[in-house]
Amino acid sequence: MPRPTAPTTVHDSLVLEPRDVRFDWSQLPLHWIPDEPMATHTINVLHLLLPEGERWFVRVFKEALPMIRDEQLREEVLGFIGQEAIHAEAHQEVLDHLLGQGLDPRPYVRQISWLFHRILGEKPGLTERQRRENIIERVAFVAAIEHFTAFLGNWALNSPGLDRAKADPTMLDLLRWHGAEEVEHRSVAYDLMVHLDPGYLRRIRGMMVSGPLLVHLWVRGVRFMLAADPTLEGRIRPTWREAQQHVRRGLLPDPVKSIRSGLRYLRPGYHPTQEGSSSQALGYLATSPAARAAAR
Amino acid sequence: MDLTTPPPDLYGRPRPDRFIQRITAFGDRYSPALGGPLLRRSPRRPAPRPTPDLQLVVTRHEAAATDVVELHLADPSGSPLPRWQPGARLLLTLPSGRERHYSLCGDPADPRSYRIAVRRIADGGGGSVEIHDELHVGARLTARRPRNGFAFCAEPAVLLLAGGIGITPLLPMARQAARSGLDWHLVHAGRSADSMPFTDELRALDPGRVTLLTDDDRGVPDAVDLLAHAPAGAAVYCCGPAPMLAAVQAALDAPPARSLHFERFGAAPVPDGRPFTVRLGAEGPELPVPADRSALDVVREVRPELPYSCHQGFCGTCRVQLLSGVPEHRDRRLTEEEHAAGALLPCVSRAAEGETLVLDL
Repeated sequence: MPRPTAPTTVHDSLVLEPRDVRFDWSQLPLHWIPDEPMATHTINVLHLLLPEGERWFVRVFKEALPMIRDEQLREEVLGFIGQEAIHAEAHQEVLDHLLGQGLDPRPYVRQISWLFHRILGEKPGLTERQRRENIIERVAFVAAIEHFTAFLGNWALNSPGLDRAKADPTMLDLLRWHGAEEVEHRSVAYDLMVHLDPGYLRRIRGMMVSGPLLVHLWVRGVRFMLAADPTLEGRIRPTWREAQQHVRRGLLPDPVKSIRSGLRYLRPGYHPTQEGSSSQALGYLATSPAARAAAR
Repeated sequence: MDLTTPPPDLYGRPRPDRFIQRITAFGDRYSPALGGPLLRRSPRRPAPRPTPDLQLVVTRHEAAATDVVELHLADPSGSPLPRWQPGARLLLTLPSGRERHYSLCGDPADPRSYRIAVRRIADGGGGSVEIHDELHVGARLTARRPRNGFAFCAEPAVLLLAGGIGITPLLPMARQAARSGLDWHLVHAGRSADSMPFTDELRALDPGRVTLLTDDDRGVPDAVDLLAHAPAGAAVYCCGPAPMLAAVQAALDAPPARSLHFERFGAAPVPDGRPFTVRLGAEGPELPVPADRSALDVVREVRPELPYSCHQGFCGTCRVQLLSGVPEHRDRRLTEEEHAAGALLPCVSRAAEGETLVLDL
């Protein structure tokens, strides 16, 4: 498979393998960025979306496996599947912890589960060709979403604002470990999509459908979390103005930048290696307490 | 999961959720529309193709140390080879058909030649003996393109720890560190001075930053002593025998080192395995699983499409359904309930000697 040539400073042809991790959530406060419920819950939306979302990535990629004709890509996809499976479980633990703290995420998660099983799951009654096309189409959705996860991962690795705000160190490690693996494997879904269908239409369709959907799910998620937080009693409603203040203090990624980043995905010469740094990601993974705890 | 009843409103209001209704309706039109014009893979495009293997010829074959041979490989027509970065490895297919991974230990800046170094392991799987005794200058080999499972991140301060032939991936890292002006130190521990390759090359980089330790005169070095060579806040890159890596991992929390990079090789040796049998489906073929192999490896020979990932029983990708037989679960992923319901991870889980596990495959 011909790949765009990257500058030599970019690490390419990385071997991907899942890393086992151990997190201890017993000490995690409900507002793990102290006194910042809105910023906390904006990031918490990840825990609502990711367990179901990443399990869906795994199902889609398992369905796509028999269509892959390149051995190296196949190995990368298998590594990707293992990493995503571990991510899903790590975020699930946080979700379970939230429930234990009296914040019931289940109404939202039920909808996400419907989205990934019923709407984006395998559809009955399709012809073989439609079925194949549906697999490739969903790979294109994953590739577009992975563009954002790499963007967010890159942000998490470069977010001193969270340290300044004294965010919980275990949660920071989860965000940065996960973010680093997203940066590490940022090319896999895109390369798989291009392998299965190099057409430009497929790529932009992937972004046109999943980009706005992701933004909408996020905004919905923040509203839901703030309403479901038993300590807030519905007093806080999210506003863009407040979000902008959090962005300025480095507590949240900049929505304008993330939309611009989404537009870069549409450029004809785009490749995921152009965004983020593998060196930085691998450097973090070599220090991550959760990864080191499990490596023993 | 229930795929017929849409989920209720987020806030418990007694009405269907409009957003969910809309995207469900959209999805129900979208899926069957795929395959139509503009909504399919263009039929004019060629089918996906595999990347071809590299064809290589041995251009040099010579001793680098006692029981270590150094091989230079090039494209038969002298064309440039795919680029690589320190830590990369090559999967070689030897003339016998054996496949072996070797770290590239030459200079990434040389596009015409790959270099590997191989220690002779007389009682190993035969790959190293074949390379030592049967390969010669002019021999042809195929290889997959270099891949990197041990990437060098060029942190400002690094400690490179090599045990024995584990020097191979670290030598190009040392070269890059020297070129980029990093604060680096390399420790190479080996059994005896004559068994350690590339000592002159290492010393030529910067004698003050290279420490050679031999078991002969000091005994096997202690991990804490090894780490004491680290510059302050260093990232450690370790490649060597498994006990050395384990000792370094355990000792790492002591300063001055800050982080640890090592190459992860999926499958670990099977501890305390007994031979047993798996059958694929109630009527399917029976496959013997030897004591030293995983059921996953054996099953993959006949079912190459079976997904897997970590080889270590923690990611759950290879999960299969057990139809009958008494398993010995060795994974850390599945719950008691899942085990009781017949879930099994064949990458690590086994059975008692002589037992037959029937898998739903």
